Amino acid sequence: MSNQTQTTREPTMEGEPTPEKTGAIDIENLTKVYDPEGERVVAVDDMDLQIGAEEFVALLGPSGCGKSTVMNCIAGYLEPTEGEVLVDGNRVSGPDPKRGVVFQDNRLFPWKTIQENVEFGPQMNDGVEEGRARSILDEMGLDGFEDAYPSGLSGGMQQRAELARLLANDPDIMLMDEPFSALDALTKEIMQKKLIEVWERDNRTVLFITHDVEEAILLADRVVVMTARPGQVKDVIDVDLDRPRDPEVVTTDRFTELRERALSVIREEAQRALEQEEGEV
Amino acid sequence: MSTVEQVKRRFGAGTVPLLTKRLRQALSVVLFFALWAVLVRLEVLGFGRFVGPVPALSTFVSALLGAPMTGSGATIYQHAAFSAMRVVVAMVLATATAIPLGLLIGANRRWEDALFPALEVFRPVPPVAWVPIALLLLPTFRSGVLFVVFVGAFFPILVNTIEGVDTVDEEYLRAAESLGADSREVFRHVIFPATLPSIVTGVSTGVGLAWITVVAAEMIAGGIGIGYIIFQAYRLLQTDVVAVGMIAIGVLGYASAALVYRIGNRLTEWQTID
Ligand SMILES: Nc1ncnc2c1ncn2[C@@H]1O[C@H](COP(=O)(O)OP(=O)(O)OP(=O)(O)O)[C@@H](O)[C@H]1O
Ligand SMILES: [Mg+2]
Repeated sequence: MSNQTQTTREPTMEGEPTPEKTGAIDIENLTKVYDPEGERVVAVDDMDLQIGAEEFVALLGPSGCGKSTVMNCIAGYLEPTEGEVLVDGNRVSGPDPKRGVVFQDNRLFPWKTIQENVEFGPQMNDGVEEGRARSILDEMGLDGFEDAYPSGLSGGMQQRAELARLLANDPDIMLMDEPFSALDALTKEIMQKKLIEVWERDNRTVLFITHDVEEAILLADRVVVMTARPGQVKDVIDVDLDRPRDPEVVTTDRFTELRERALSVIREEAQRALEQEEGEV
Repeated sequence: MSTVEQVKRRFGAGTVPLLTKRLRQALSVVLFFALWAVLVRLEVLGFGRFVGPVPALSTFVSALLGAPMTGSGATIYQHAAFSAMRVVVAMVLATATAIPLGLLIGANRRWEDALFPALEVFRPVPPVAWVPIALLLLPTFRSGVLFVVFVGAFFPILVNTIEGVDTVDEEYLRAAESLGADSREVFRHVIFPATLPSIVTGVSTGVGLAWITVVAAEMIAGGIGIGYIIFQAYRLLQTDVVAVGMIAIGVLGYASAALVYRIGNRLTEWQTID
């Protein structure tokens, strides 16, 4: 396992060491071109973005603007064409258990039981701790399903199990690509609450990709809106709503203001994306 | 409820089955023997020269009681054991080579380029077409037969394994890597189990082909085995023995397919759970 996420300790203001924050993401001049010798699809063009340690950032943008590409570069699945991604000051060069990923349609291993799935990360790293998988599954409301296979679970439960698998590995960063978009409204709301709960408790950095403007504002500290392809940062919206945010927050004036601002930017970019497509056809 | 509906209810298709499933299955066997008897009696095509079901069954019973077949002195059990051994040994060799080779080729593009085109040329050659060269090149007829059966089982297992590896969803590999698995662990925990269903498909196709091949090879090579007695009995015009040989092959083929199916289901249990 790599130790990319280790950083040097800096003295704090008081001069006594406090636990350092980990999980800061620094995207610098990130450019990703698919198929450079052939069709050359410039998915992301010279993008800059800093995400603080333990920050919750939502990434919004029109379809095909390069959100997943950015995430895959942070996860270490893709090599940037130009520029780089730094995590706690270290260049990302491949996947790492400190950067956990939740896929849209979960990628639980169908041939492993739920408990085996949850214990997979620890098994690959520092070893399985007796009873830990069970307590995480309990917390996710999956007690009694330890020995079930993923195919025996509903979509919402599968997504919770995938979250449990991620948490068992104790990552600094959680990368989530439209994790709840396939869920029904009620299940989605429960999952959002769970996610915020574990994020507030465990101090992790979250990058959350979504198409849902309200979801982004409800969850995030900052909402980053991307331009149409090639993707860049179009606007960054600070969400200054108090936490904990209950579902009624969506009815407040401030929420409406934030939503309108995000929507107007997205509309503009979606329109541009549409024109671009028509131009290409 | 109208009378028409009542009648439909009592006798209509689908609502009240006229026969239970077991009875219908028994009926299909009875119908088969009846058709056989009628064809022989009416001498349809060449059936006049063929044995009817009753004498065939009586030969079958005496064969089961240990009567020697076609004057060779060996009982049906000895012939069946030889054919079955050939299938089992060939299957063991084929799975032991085709699965690792398939995994290797599938997991490494470089290997695929180096090995697969050559194998691809041999694949469409029907296993039976290997018989002459196998009998010529190998030291004994018995090893020649074994080799041909091995070839018959080898390719379906190889091809299905390669295809299984090729179609593993990339995101499972990514998920495993992000959870901290190195490439060996990815192979063991993701690529291999994800490929198992395809391997099972390959093995069951392989075992079917192994039976086809063993019979054909034994017919040509002679000596011993059920393929041999079928052909020998044909030459001696003992059509009852031909029928017995066919029944024996049918039973053995069915039993081995059922066995592979059971083992396969056990290995890929996670797939069938709803
Ligand atoms: N492997 C690839 N090869 C070529 N082009 C690709 C590849 N992956 C993505 N693209 C293209 O790059 C662009 C950005 O894709 P990406 O998946 O990052 O967008 P996205 O913002 O996540 O879209 P969505 O909202 O639909 O998920 C798209 O135009 C897409 O067609
Ligand atoms: Mg995407």
